[in-house]
Amino acid sequence: MSGPVLGRRKAGALAAGAVIAGTVAAGSLRTASAADASTFVSGFGLPANLDPHQVYDVPMQAMMLNAYDNLYRYQNDPPQIVPWLAESHTVTPDGLVWEFKLRSGIKFHDGSPMTSEDVVYSFRRMLALGLAPAGAFLKILKPESVTAVDPLTVRFKLETAYAPFFAAIPSISIVNPRMIEPNVKNSDWGKSWLASNGAGSGSYRIIPAGYRPLEYLDMEIFDDHFMGWSHNPKPVRKLACRPTRETSTRVLALLNGSLDCTDNNLPADQVAQINASKIAYVQKDMVMRIFIIRMNNTKPPFDNLNARLCFAHAFNYMGFINDILGGYATRDPYPMPDNLWGIPKDAKGYDYDLKKAKEYYAKAVAQGAPMKRPVELHVQSENEQSVQGAQLFQSDLAQIGINMKVVGNIWPNLTAAAAKPDTTPDMWVHWVSTYFVDPENWVGQMYDSQFHGTWKASAYYKNPEVDTLLRKARTTIKQEDREPLYQEAIRKIMADSPDIWVYNSMQLQGLNKRIKGRRFCTVGQGAEMRWITLDG
Amino acid sequence: MLRFVLRRCILVLPSLFGLLVVTFLLIRVVPSDPAMALAGDAATPEQIERLRQQYGFDRPIWEQFVVYVGKVATLDLGESAFSRRPVAVDIAQRLPATLALTFCALAISVFVGVPLGVIAGLTHNAWPDYLLRVFSVLGIAVAAFWFAIMLQLLFSMELGWLPLRGELSPTMQRPPRVTGFMVADALIAGRFDVVTDALRHLVLPAFTLSLGGLATIVRFTRAGVLDTLQQDFVFYERAMGYRRHRLIWIYVLRNSVTATVTQIGLLFGGLIAGGVVVEAIFDWPGIGSYTVQAILTGDRQVMLAVTLLVGTVYAVVNILIDLVHGLLDPRLMERA
Repeated sequence: MSGPVLGRRKAGALAAGAVIAGTVAAGSLRTASAADASTFVSGFGLPANLDPHQVYDVPMQAMMLNAYDNLYRYQNDPPQIVPWLAESHTVTPDGLVWEFKLRSGIKFHDGSPMTSEDVVYSFRRMLALGLAPAGAFLKILKPESVTAVDPLTVRFKLETAYAPFFAAIPSISIVNPRMIEPNVKNSDWGKSWLASNGAGSGSYRIIPAGYRPLEYLDMEIFDDHFMGWSHNPKPVRKLACRPTRETSTRVLALLNGSLDCTDNNLPADQVAQINASKIAYVQKDMVMRIFIIRMNNTKPPFDNLNARLCFAHAFNYMGFINDILGGYATRDPYPMPDNLWGIPKDAKGYDYDLKKAKEYYAKAVAQGAPMKRPVELHVQSENEQSVQGAQLFQSDLAQIGINMKVVGNIWPNLTAAAAKPDTTPDMWVHWVSTYFVDPENWVGQMYDSQFHGTWKASAYYKNPEVDTLLRKARTTIKQEDREPLYQEAIRKIMADSPDIWVYNSMQLQGLNKRIKGRRFCTVGQGAEMRWITLDG
Repeated sequence: MLRFVLRRCILVLPSLFGLLVVTFLLIRVVPSDPAMALAGDAATPEQIERLRQQYGFDRPIWEQFVVYVGKVATLDLGESAFSRRPVAVDIAQRLPATLALTFCALAISVFVGVPLGVIAGLTHNAWPDYLLRVFSVLGIAVAAFWFAIMLQLLFSMELGWLPLRGELSPTMQRPPRVTGFMVADALIAGRFDVVTDALRHLVLPAFTLSLGGLATIVRFTRAGVLDTLQQDFVFYERAMGYRRHRLIWIYVLRNSVTATVTQIGLLFGGLIAGGVVVEAIFDWPGIGSYTVQAILTGDRQVMLAVTLLVGTVYAVVNILIDLVHGLLDPRLMERA
């Protein structure tokens, strides 16, 4: 049999019919996609789970600022630590005993009153779990050293003086033991249950049925929040978190109104497109998040100062910031955000200067450093910016005769490798965000040799003078006394050039124009919803 | 028939065990540290070491494997280092979304692809055949992420007909979870607004995912029909005066789809793999995005569990395909 069996007319009619049916069906479904005026649809990423004592990262900060409260909290830009659940605090001159006085009349989401016993429970739970948020406390605080003096006063007795203690207080959420305890299994402190539920007192209440890890989270307003709502007569009633993974989808969702805000890592090349739209714009905020190229100071040639200085002068800082990041970052030559106290402003960082790089190259070679050895720079493959930065660096290093290979990798592999000096890559790229607003979060944990083995200290830099200064700064209570110690330590670190400090970040976030009243703070990065009103 | 099914099921078990061994070993080759993943970014070395001991990551690899197999046998898939929740719970929440998407895409591929393949075969070397051949080549060649973005731009941004992303509109209240399948749960709850909304959300991802399979099925069905049309029985039945409609859509089609049915089994694996990209672009809350997250965060328990699950589903689907083969051609079952 050859030739068409089905007649042309019939085949054509079938095809046309299918097209018409599809068009009619789709046409009847046409609707608007925007959310209503009391629902805020957020594109912020979600934390790994909802337990603020298990996870502590930027997405968790955003979630816990809405669902939980803390004794003190960071507000404003630049960040100030302000009383929140506590109305005041005292500390003994030796910095060992801290007392916090709670406000009265605070209620949890289940309506039960908050007392100092709940604060004690929260800190003991955090210490017992010993996970991420406990990092700042484990060495200086024992569970039995957190006690309730009276129903509204809680006392912390530290093992040793630790000045960043107060700065780290906002990282701990106060949870409701009456909701957690009935759900404890095998003495797990309710870990499994709280991973998918809420037990806080924050401005918004978690709706457990509206949660699927990393996919979506629904929260509703808590009318009885201790701060009240008189400052915002038309608050957001429902918060729908819908993280969006792909850049193209998140930008389209913002532009068609189905998302009120994107996450805070919008690529610079999307700014013009969003700003040209009628319903959205890009908000730019300086944050405290530094971009670093680490050098493994234990591996030749990076164990040689001149070699490190060669590399530090071979990176095109402003080319990277202006051309790749579109100018949306500030050059930060310090091992710490340049908008934080403790920076020695007189210290000069390194500039892009290939002539100087060549001079240091020659000096390093003269001292026997193996500058011809091929070196590796590991980048986070899923992050285009770090790949582009590495390629820029690679081309400049090639000009001075250094053979650098760019190696794609992922964050867990890199942090695991950084646990030992011999497995840490020659160089790798990462950011350090704000876990708490104190130099300890950056320079303290990055360059004190006692932190070797953690990803933050993966340069394996060791300078006994710097160790002494940083340890003294850690145990000195007053900021005015700590500041010169950090300044001195940073001067010495910069002279040793253990890493390449590139920029401090500018957060780019796409926002719908109906959002009013947003307040920004680098901790939480503008995700605190209680201030926001939606127009229309 | 029962013996045939039992025999196939028993043969699947060593395959799955082999898959478990290979995956377990491969994941150990990756230099990530599960204790570090569990402890989080801000953890100290002491915290990490404590977790390493607590979860047994410091024990010999064979010991870890024996413990893991023992747990899997009791359906305990461990705890996700990332979400800190039982992996079985995470998967149970996400699997229905992936299955709904995959089976919808498969249904589109089959119920549209087979008739189109028949039409192409029947209009051999005429314009519908040319058109469908171009379509099938393009369908296989086009990248899913590009096609998805084009669909989003046209149907969500330009025409506003269909939602851009997600499984349900953010303002829509979810029905109580019974089966985990959104449409089924909405029907059980009598929430027809949710049914409509969920179906609308399903259209673009399902169509994107179906494209490659659709094109493949069109090609295989077309080839099968062309081959069958050359068989003597077709000439005989035409000569006997069988109605053309009955001849084509029953006798010719039944004899043409054997290769197509085999392809459907193979396609299923492709649809699950392709679902990773489609789920990411459309923010579809299935296991695809969960798996990507697990890979990026070095979440070993999830990687193992998902591999085992996908292997199991793939094996079950292929047993079903073998059964369909047997129904289409009973000689195969007799031989087996």
